[in-house]
Amino acid sequence: MEVRPILSAMLRNKTAPLLIAAQVALTLAIICNALYIIRDRLSTAARPTGADETNLFEIRFYPHRPIADIRGMQIRDLEALRAIPGVRSVAWVNQIPLGQSSWNIGGLTTEPGKRDSNIQATYYFSGGSLIDTFGLRLIEGRDFQSSEVVESDPRKERAEPQVMIITRALAELLFPGAASVVGKSFYLGGSDDAKPVRIVGVVERLQSPSAPAGARAELSMIAPITYLDGYTRYAVRAEPGQRERVMAEAEKALLALSNDRVLLGKGGFDELRARRYSGERIMAGLLIAVTGFLLLITASGIVGIASLWVNQRRKQIGVRRALGGRRVDILRYFVTENAIITTAGVLVGLSLALALNHVLVGAIELPRLPLIYLGLGALVMWLLGLLAVSGPAWRAAQVSPAIATRSV
Amino acid sequence: MFRYYLSLGFRSLRRNPVLTALMVLTLSVGVAASITTLTILHAMSGNPLPHKNEQLLVPLLDNLPADNGNDDGEPPEQLTFMDAMKLWEQKAASRQTPLYGLSPAIDSGRADLPPFFTEGVAIGRDFFAMFEAPFLYGDAWSAEEDARAAKVAVISRSLADRLFDSGSNPVGKTVRISDNDFSIVGVLDSWNPVPKVYRLIGSERFDTSEDVFVPIRTAVALEFDRNGSMDCSSEPPAPGFQGYLQSECNWVQYWAELDAASSRSRYADYLLAYVNEQKALGRFVRPPNNRLYNVGEWLDSRGVVDDDTRTSTWLSFAFLLVCLVNTVGLLLAKFSARPGEIGVRRALGATRADVFRQYLTEAAVIGVVGALIGLVLTWSALAYIRSLDASLALVTRLDGTMLVTAVAVSIAASLLAGLLPTWRACQVVPALQLKSQ
Amino acid sequence: MLKMQNLSKVYRTHMIETQALRGFDIHVREGEFVAVTGPSGSGKTTFLNIAGLLEEFSSGEYLIDGVNVAGLDDNARSRLRNEKIGFIFQGFNLIPDLNLFDNVDVPLRYRGFDSAERRRRIEQSLTQVGLASRQRHYPAELSGGQQQRVAIARALAGSPKLLLADEPTGNLDSNMARGVMELLEEINAAGTTILMVTHDPELAARAQRNVHIIDGQVSDLEHETRRALASLSTTPEAV
Ligand SMILES: Nc1ncnc2c1ncn2[C@@H]1O[C@H](COP(=O)(O)OP(=O)(O)OP(=O)(O)O)[C@@H](O)[C@H]1O
Ligand SMILES: [Mg+2]
Repeated sequence: MEVRPILSAMLRNKTAPLLIAAQVALTLAIICNALYIIRDRLSTAARPTGADETNLFEIRFYPHRPIADIRGMQIRDLEALRAIPGVRSVAWVNQIPLGQSSWNIGGLTTEPGKRDSNIQATYYFSGGSLIDTFGLRLIEGRDFQSSEVVESDPRKERAEPQVMIITRALAELLFPGAASVVGKSFYLGGSDDAKPVRIVGVVERLQSPSAPAGARAELSMIAPITYLDGYTRYAVRAEPGQRERVMAEAEKALLALSNDRVLLGKGGFDELRARRYSGERIMAGLLIAVTGFLLLITASGIVGIASLWVNQRRKQIGVRRALGGRRVDILRYFVTENAIITTAGVLVGLSLALALNHVLVGAIELPRLPLIYLGLGALVMWLLGLLAVSGPAWRAAQVSPAIATRSV
Repeated sequence: MFRYYLSLGFRSLRRNPVLTALMVLTLSVGVAASITTLTILHAMSGNPLPHKNEQLLVPLLDNLPADNGNDDGEPPEQLTFMDAMKLWEQKAASRQTPLYGLSPAIDSGRADLPPFFTEGVAIGRDFFAMFEAPFLYGDAWSAEEDARAAKVAVISRSLADRLFDSGSNPVGKTVRISDNDFSIVGVLDSWNPVPKVYRLIGSERFDTSEDVFVPIRTAVALEFDRNGSMDCSSEPPAPGFQGYLQSECNWVQYWAELDAASSRSRYADYLLAYVNEQKALGRFVRPPNNRLYNVGEWLDSRGVVDDDTRTSTWLSFAFLLVCLVNTVGLLLAKFSARPGEIGVRRALGATRADVFRQYLTEAAVIGVVGALIGLVLTWSALAYIRSLDASLALVTRLDGTMLVTAVAVSIAASLLAGLLPTWRACQVVPALQLKSQ
Repeated sequence: MLKMQNLSKVYRTHMIETQALRGFDIHVREGEFVAVTGPSGSGKTTFLNIAGLLEEFSSGEYLIDGVNVAGLDDNARSRLRNEKIGFIFQGFNLIPDLNLFDNVDVPLRYRGFDSAERRRRIEQSLTQVGLASRQRHYPAELSGGQQQRVAIARALAGSPKLLLADEPTGNLDSNMARGVMELLEEINAAGTTILMVTHDPELAARAQRNVHIIDGQVSDLEHETRRALASLSTTPEAV
């Protein structure tokens, strides 16, 4: 309504409004991008592994002197673990989702002898059933049969799997568009002696231990192999609600079996997840803190300057009231004034946000900022401005009209 | 006169406590955010061996097959065991060492100290001199011990303290490493180069240095497993540990140190000659694609400072900028709220410069208080980050340089913020002021 | 037009109670030009403030244009001020960041006139005070007398029935003061009731009726004594 006179009054005193607008613009540019990075990082950190994470834990041992009968040790370990009440399923595994260090095989191909394939997948293997132990969802085919399990001593021979279970993501990459991949074969590399591996099942999802950002995270395959290695890593799936107790008993049971080894680590998936994504979470936390402080500082800046304006203009407010301005007119004056400044800041801020995003896209592989974040940021700034000015504006509305005659 | 301005400044700040608190807080939060990220960036992007920057070199050789799957034109970032050992034996540089990571088991035999695993590296004797590892007791093993794969070890001070009476000299004593008795020849004093430049691959880059150092030939003879990364472009010719030793798998890091006099290009020529010689034996099928990095180049090329650190540093400086703008606004509002005072001072004979100095002093007072609070905030933020991620312990230490930087940044920031409002305050003309009053 | 009966106003500050008005009775008829005089601190401004609905009173009765003021809420009081009352202050009280046009515009905006009506009234009232050509000037660019004429234009623009002036010439030299006084007389002649506080006996003498306030009470005096008293009470002020 009375935008023009407010605007022209403001143009007479440009500096402070310009500073607030600049502050709004910078804040908007930063928070748009920060919110987006926060969401990007948190959603990366929240991706499911495909395993029954709440009930699963791992326990790892390493011998400090050579172990004579590794096979016997593994059998005794598995028996001891299964004997613990509350254990649902146990398997020896070479690696575990979110465990970070991973076995990868590159050059996967469906054409024998093709040497330049760039399909790489992570390589899980286990003599047990990962479908049972990890709690994976089988969407096609079957689990391994015990006759298919291969035992291998890595110091003496190379394990050659005949059959594999792969993830849907890998299946789609190897056989684009195929309705079913069970029964089909592929090769682990293009060397001349590579033998075909037959797919017997497809699981919906199984994340690789390193869990890289993007689609590569779910390129995994499982082979029915047990290594006869002194290093042992077991995945244990407990009955719901019993994981902590089972984990404590498992450690005791296994250490009681042999004192030639050292417990390297044990832990649930929540711990693994926290460790894997600590970088993402520190970044998100930092950005959340920065965003929060920015909003707080911008708000306090608006409150500070608006309060001083109100104080400076007490006389003027009294005159306006004496001339018939109602309280709400005074309130509206300050809110409108603030809205004009905020809007100017928001307009500049939106272009700054896009520019900053352009820089970030180049610098840190961040996808382009979706427009919704700009809208969201603008809305936040408007609300913030409104909220910040409401206090001083309300105080302005309380100024008595008698101020006009009782001049100081 | 400065004392007078100072007392005026403090008095003025007391007159408007909420506004003053707001300005100080804004400034200190801005300073804390920027100094926190800057501290981390400063530590991460540091070069622990600046005086040897040009002399220490990492050679990389391209042993990938001709038709490699994911080809980015770069050679693997480590060498094969074969190449590392050959380069080491040929001693083309004044010092050189191969290196691979271990995770040895330490068995003290004591009942109160059960066996445990720790971090170690398998290296050549030159390693200690090349990276200036400080010896507390003893010294590096000899070249002869290197050559005959003697069971000798250098251990860290913290391991020595754990195994033996602290303060005693354990040189000559025996330590059981992965089921083998090693004789201790030296103990290293605490030594934590940040980043851990000699082992950027397959290890935490900002971690403390290792506990156990053994000759590489000994480690290989005892088949000490590698703790680090390995890239294989083809299957090893045989299974097990021996297979890796003869394979085209890349898993050994290598460093050479040149005399100040001898030139880098001579060493590059030597590497090229080596590759060509191997080509004759049927290896290195691709066109020669060697790389030679000095310390700084090596740190840069491995991306030691990650994108997140860089982004957050930029962000926090943008944040500081917002804080600055905010402080400018608040100061401006504060100063312009009392044109009467300025008018009266001017009328009483204050020069423009006097007004300028008085108001800038007031801004600087805010800066100093803001800096002190900012330092406390920085210190707590770093402690908090440390508690979130212990591996960042070495890069979240607030050193003297950063302390000075923090104080300088915040005083500079407050003066900068005070400049515009002060300049405006100086524009107040006594006559004009009286007229409108 | 304006009728106060047994009105009182008490100011309470933390320690002291000031009885600014007590048993205050006054009746101003439509079209009158009343000069209010009295020693400093006697309650003149308080009276004007209450008359103009800028302040509330403590007890008594006050009717303006037949409307009983007691019990009106803030919005209704604002409305009344806006429609029926115009103000002229000693310190002019123009808004420094608005040009003359926008200054006169302020009460009209609150009145809710459309822009054509506002423009017409602004131009008319600025013409009346002889400043039509300086619409785009800012208050700081005018002399004190000119500023006060703008303030009068602002008060007139809403065509109020009652004009309240608190020492309108207090900041002006006698020449300018006479000019302002002539303007006020013109306005009064056009039918507007005027209540003017002044310390200047010469100006007070030109009003139709004088009201003398002493110690918060009205004393309507005869012409002669009034003049003597007024000169007495203002002498100590004339420093
Ligand atoms: N807001 C207030 N709080 C307390 N006391 C007040 C207030 N306003 C006025 N007074 C007191 O009320 C009395 C009347 O004041 P008022 O301003 O009406 O005097 P005045 O006749 O206008 O004087 P002057 O000629 O000097 O302007 C004075 O004693 C004054 O101190
Ligand atoms: Mg008065």
